[in-house]
Formats: sequence, C-alpha cells, structure tokens
Amino acid sequence: MISPRTLRNLRSELSRSLLAKLGIAILAVILFTALFAPLLAPHDPTDQNLDNANVPPLGFTATENQTTSQMVDGEVQIVEEEVVVNTTAEHPLGTDSLGRDVLSRTMFGARTSLLVGLLGTSIAVVLGVTVGITAGYYGGRIDDALMRFADVMLAFPSLVLAIALIGLWGQASWRIPDPLVALGIASSEMPEHVVLPGTVIVVVALVNWVWFARVARGEALSVRDQEYVKAARSMGGSDLHVILKHVLPNSLTPILVLATIQIAAIILLESSLSFLGFSGAQLSWGFDIAQGRQYLSSSWWIATVPGLAIVAAVIGINLIGDWLRDALDPGIEGQGGAP
Amino acid sequence: MTDPLVTVDGLEKYYYENDTLLDRLTGAEREAVRAVDGVSFEVREGETLGVVGESGCGKSTLAETLMRLREPTGGSVTFDGDPVYELSGDDMDAFRRRAQVMFQDPFSSLDPRMTAGEIITEPLAIHGVGTGAERRERAETLLEEVGLSADQIDRYPHEFSGGQRQRIGFARALAIDPEFVVLDEPVSALDVSVQAQVLNLLADMQAERDLTYLFIAHDLSVVRHISDRVAVMYLGEIVEIGPTEEIFEDPQHPYTKALLESVPRADTDERDRVVETIRGDVPSPRDPPSGCSFRTRCPELIQPPWLDAPQAAFREISEFRTRIENGDIDVDTRWEQVGDPDREDRAAFVDSLYAEAFDEDLPDDDEGTVREAIRALADGDREAAAATLRERYRSPCEAVDPALPAGEHPSACLLNEQPDDVEAAREEWEADRDAPGVGASSR
Ligand code: SF4
Repeated sequence: MISPRTLRNLRSELSRSLLAKLGIAILAVILFTALFAPLLAPHDPTDQNLDNANVPPLGFTATENQTTSQMVDGEVQIVEEEVVVNTTAEHPLGTDSLGRDVLSRTMFGARTSLLVGLLGTSIAVVLGVTVGITAGYYGGRIDDALMRFADVMLAFPSLVLAIALIGLWGQASWRIPDPLVALGIASSEMPEHVVLPGTVIVVVALVNWVWFARVARGEALSVRDQEYVKAARSMGGSDLHVILKHVLPNSLTPILVLATIQIAAIILLESSLSFLGFSGAQLSWGFDIAQGRQYLSSSWWIATVPGLAIVAAVIGINLIGDWLRDALDPGIEGQGGAP
Repeated sequence: MTDPLVTVDGLEKYYYENDTLLDRLTGAEREAVRAVDGVSFEVREGETLGVVGESGCGKSTLAETLMRLREPTGGSVTFDGDPVYELSGDDMDAFRRRAQVMFQDPFSSLDPRMTAGEIITEPLAIHGVGTGAERRERAETLLEEVGLSADQIDRYPHEFSGGQRQRIGFARALAIDPEFVVLDEPVSALDVSVQAQVLNLLADMQAERDLTYLFIAHDLSVVRHISDRVAVMYLGEIVEIGPTEEIFEDPQHPYTKALLESVPRADTDERDRVVETIRGDVPSPRDPPSGCSFRTRCPELIQPPWLDAPQAAFREISEFRTRIENGDIDVDTRWEQVGDPDREDRAAFVDSLYAEAFDEDLPDDDEGTVREAIRALADGDREAAAATLRERYRSPCEAVDPALPAGEHPSACLLNEQPDDVEAAREEWEADRDAPGVGASSR
C-alpha cells in the first residue's frame, strides 16, 4: 500500500525538516522507555518508603517545616523549624509523598499512556473509517443517518462522554504478565503485571472515532466521483473492490495524519481521566499528576515530571504528524507530474 | 448492412431535484432534469458511431446510462440480443467483460496510487483472468501495443504525460478483449498534436481487433475521420443521425448546420468553441423549451403562416420575446439608463430598449408591434408585452415537437420530413389560428 514514491517523499521531507527528526527522536525515546521500563527503571515504581518521602530531584533543595516539641525548663515548647531534605543519587528525579521513585513511575507511566493512545486510536480508526467510508461511498439515506449520529456524538465534550461511559460500564482492566519479568530478563522486584485498562481504551476510542468518520467520509465522497472509480465499476468491480482498491488507499493520507494528532489527544484524555480518578489506573502520568497536585507548593516535582512527559509525548507525536502531512499531501498530483 | 450490436430504444435518464425526505414532507414539487430524453439508435457491429453535442447536452450521461453505470428512468438497451438493464449474475458479468469504457480525463481516470501495470490489469483481476505473472505479461504486451514501452509498467500515472495516460486508459479498456468500447471524449483533454496520434491508435486497434465504438465528442471535426456514422445531440435528444459523409456534406438539421459553420479553434476550450451562429445559451434541461428544443436558438425558426418577415428580423424578434418571457429584461435598470426616475417619458424608454435589442431593420408593421410590446413593458406589464408578441410571432416550432423519423439519415426538424402524426399536429395548429391584427394600427 505504501508506494516507493511515498517512501521517497517521506525520506526527502525528513531530511529537510529538523522538527520531524526531533519528533521521531522524542517518540523513539518514549517508546523505548515504555517497552523496556522494567530493565531501565532504577526502582519498583510501587515501592513505598516513608522515610524517604518527598525527596527533591538532584540539584534541587527542598525544605520542609517540621514541628517538634521540646521540654525546656519544665515547659513544653513547640518549635517549628525548617529542615533541609537531602537529595539522593538513588532517586535522581526525587520521590513522591509515599517515597516512591518519580523517575521509575514516569517510565512505567509511559506504558499506560502509549497503550491507551495506540490501541485507542487503532480502534477509533477502524470504527471511524468503516463508518465514514460506508457513509461517503453510498451517500443518501445511509450517509444522512450515520452522519447525524456522528454529529450527536460530537456535541458532547469528550471528557464528559468518557466519564459517562465509564460510569455506565465500570472500570474493567486486565492484568497481563510482563514478559520481561516473567522470563527473568528483568529483576523480579519489578511489578509482575502490565495493566491493560480495557474500558478506558474502548471509551477513548468511542469518544474519538467520529473524527475519523468525518474525514474518511469526506475523502470517500471525493474519491467516489473520480473517473477511475467509474472505470472500475464499468469493468464490473464490486463495491467491496472499489472501496478496498481505490477509496481506502486514496483516503489514507489524511486519516494517517489525523491518527497521529488523535494519539496525542487520546494520551491527554487518558491523563485527564486518570487525573480525575476515572480510569482506575494506578500507574499513569495522569494519576501521578493528580497525586502530586496537593504537594505542588512544597514538592513540585511529583506532578511536574509526569506533566513534562505528557508534554514531550504530545509534542513529539504532533511533530511526526506534521511531517507525515507535509510528506504525503503534495505527493499525489503535484510532484514531478509530466505535463 | 451489418446487424446492430447495441440497440438503444427510447432511453431516458431523468434526475430529480427536490427529492430529499424533507422535500417530500413539505410537498415540494420534484423537478425533473431531463439529461437524456428519449434517445433511440443502433450501433452496428464493427462500426464507429460518433455522438456529438455541446457540453451539457447529455452525451456523457447517455454513455454512462448505456453502460449501466446509472440506472435509466425509461427505455431499454439491448446488447447482442440481451436486455442490459435486466441482466444479473453471470450474464451481467459477461456484459461487463464484453463492453468497456474509456474515459475523458487523463488525470482522474487513472488511480494515482496504482502503477501502470496494476491499472491495466485491473479488469483481469476483477474477473479473475490469469495468474499474476500472466496478467503482468499481458500488461506489457498492451503497453507496447498502445505505443508505450513495457519497462514503464511500474511507473505511476503522474510520471506520464496526458497523451500517455490516455493510452494507458485505452490499454485498460482493451485488456479483457471487449467487443464494444465506449470512448467518452477520449481526446478532448489533449493537445491537438497529441489528439491525432491517439485517434490513429484508436482506429488502428479497431481494425486489428474488430472493435465496435461509440465515440463521444463535443466537436464534429474530431469524429469526422473515425466515425462511420454520426449522431448529433441537443438537450438530451438526438436531432440528426446519418452517415458521416452525408452529415458533413448535406446536413439536415439547423443545429448540425450551425455546428458545421463553426470553426473550432484548437487553443480554446469547449465553451468558447460554441459557434457564433448559434446565439444564446443552451436552455436548462430542467425546463426545456416547448416544441422543438432547439427553437430558442434556431436560425431557421419557422414563421407562422400569416407572417412574411425577413428571417433575420424574425429571429431577433423571437429572441427579444424569449427575453421578455424569461423576465431577463430589467425594467428598473432600463429606466435608470433613460435617466427618468419618475418614469414618465415612455417614448424614451421605448427608443432606448428598441435600439439595444434590434440591429435589423424591421418591417414597419413589426416595428409597431414590437414598440407596443415595449410600451407595455414600460408600464410594468410584462404579461401584456409577452402576449402581444406571442400573438403575432408564435412559431409552429414551439407548439409541435418534431420527431426523429426512421431511416438512414433522419433529422428532428419540422423543415424536413416528419412522421405523419407530427405533420398532422402541425396542420391542426396552423388551421386553428387566425392571423392576428397588426400592432402598427394601434400605434
Ligand atoms: S423545428 Fe423549427 S426550431 Fe426546430 S430546428 Fe427545425 S426550424 Fe429550428
């Protein structure tokens, strides 16, 4: 489906654009981290150690107000003093209020975000493209019905819709044994399971498929009227043939570009759901931000580190989206066409 | 004479506007667009039938309906004895193999994401003919046959020129060995120099493979050398059909004559080519003229029996009448031009409009009638103005619908031979009316 010419365009656009390289680098780092988190993380992200709570990242200092009572001359004196909390090389990005390692948590959190982002987007693409192409290709009543339904879906703010659906279905999630731990490659101290937040994945897909449906429909509408579609039909090509061989391949570019943008949006949505406590995930960027929020004034890093991770992921994915758009769009008719 | 391969009988394709659910609920009148309005002809085995007409005359709809890419709203098409619109299953499959189309647009007729090889072998893939390797071989042979080279098989459409793309489109149409090919303006998007090459290729392949062509074009010069017979279409109807030589040497229908008088210039597009001798726009197929559909532009519009005006004058009057009837004359603007906001100086109004509308010298009687009509217009009574003109200048062409008789070279014009029922209708119309009074008397 990817022609040599498309590859050529992708490559030349990549060599031209610094931002595209940056986007790929960022995403590669995040992907790598997510895949090999048990090998890379210095600690078990769920390990608590209250003696070591609220340790700041290396290079920062933090003070904590401590109240101690002392007996001075037979009277109880309450002393408030500022205590300096020492940073430690063991926790390069500090620890949270329960003494869990922030770096390890952020590394493992990437798994949740990417799982939800990629799987959620895939389901949304399949659903949206199927509906959109059916609507656009057949038109008429089918189109009216499907698109009215899509408009209704769009009328709800996505977060509200997601929360409503989760409220309806509960928070089903599956625990999948982590192969790296199970095979003994990673330390057995790491968590044994990867949590697959099933409901959340389905819900973010249901909230976002409409965008794909709209784009796919628009593409199908314009491809449908091309003469090569007429030609295929005049040769006896069935609807399925026309859709698979002509409509789908020619609609793919904008769908692909949209998908990258939607992955970022879905990662944000998952974070919001976790932040609000609706996803049930205990190890995700959004969840950690929610945890760290109450310590923002004293231990800012608890929320900031996962927050920066989200920002980096979204930026990286969007840069890749821009690259795909620039590389794929003009390549169809414009470039190198002989007169 | 050989047998017909394709017989088209009374084919109709109407589109309906205002046909959504909402329109139906609100009871809006559905409006028919008569793209193809009762067309009958035959394509004989081994011949090329050219179909010519201006853009919007329904010739492409005719091709698509004939190929059953659209369902007709009436009439039938018979292909080698089989009723095309009743075929299904294997029979339909066979029709889809035996009849192919080559399209007009060198850009949109080839899928930009397929290679030349994939494009040419698509019909083979659809019908499951041959293995992958065999198909590829066939595509290579076809590429050579249409004048390209076999090693271009993996190129994409954007790597070819317009003429080369049309060759690929033609190779695709030939891939499955059809007997009948509809050529839908195959060269009209190409440069003139390239047109001739492609036309020659089409002719060569026809001779080599005994193909039957239906060749659609918007100008006569293109079909002249490739067609055995030519059908001329106007507003969804065939107005004249006959052997190519006769159509060019001895055209019968005023529209065909006008088309022939136009000299197509290579460097202009379709719209500009429309001939000087045919004035005015093609009427909308939503609301075709009564009687003969060409009458709004016909240079030979027939005068009523009581009239004997110079033809040019009669034509100007008729055109002026059409403008009034369609409400195309803006009375307010005209008054402004006259510079009389109080609208008192009717004579100035009449002079101004008369001078604008008439180049010809009208006979006195007619000038009187026309001025009378303009006076009514100045008073804001468009109906009366139209009635005044209609009374004196109605033509049999607007009351009687000419038919296309049978025969080798018929034409749908009242000036030529018409079937008995049309002649009868015309006589009845003429007998029914008395000559009206002449407007000049009431001046
Ligand atoms: S019937 Fe009348 S209007 Fe029609 S082509 Fe003949 S002369 Fe012209």
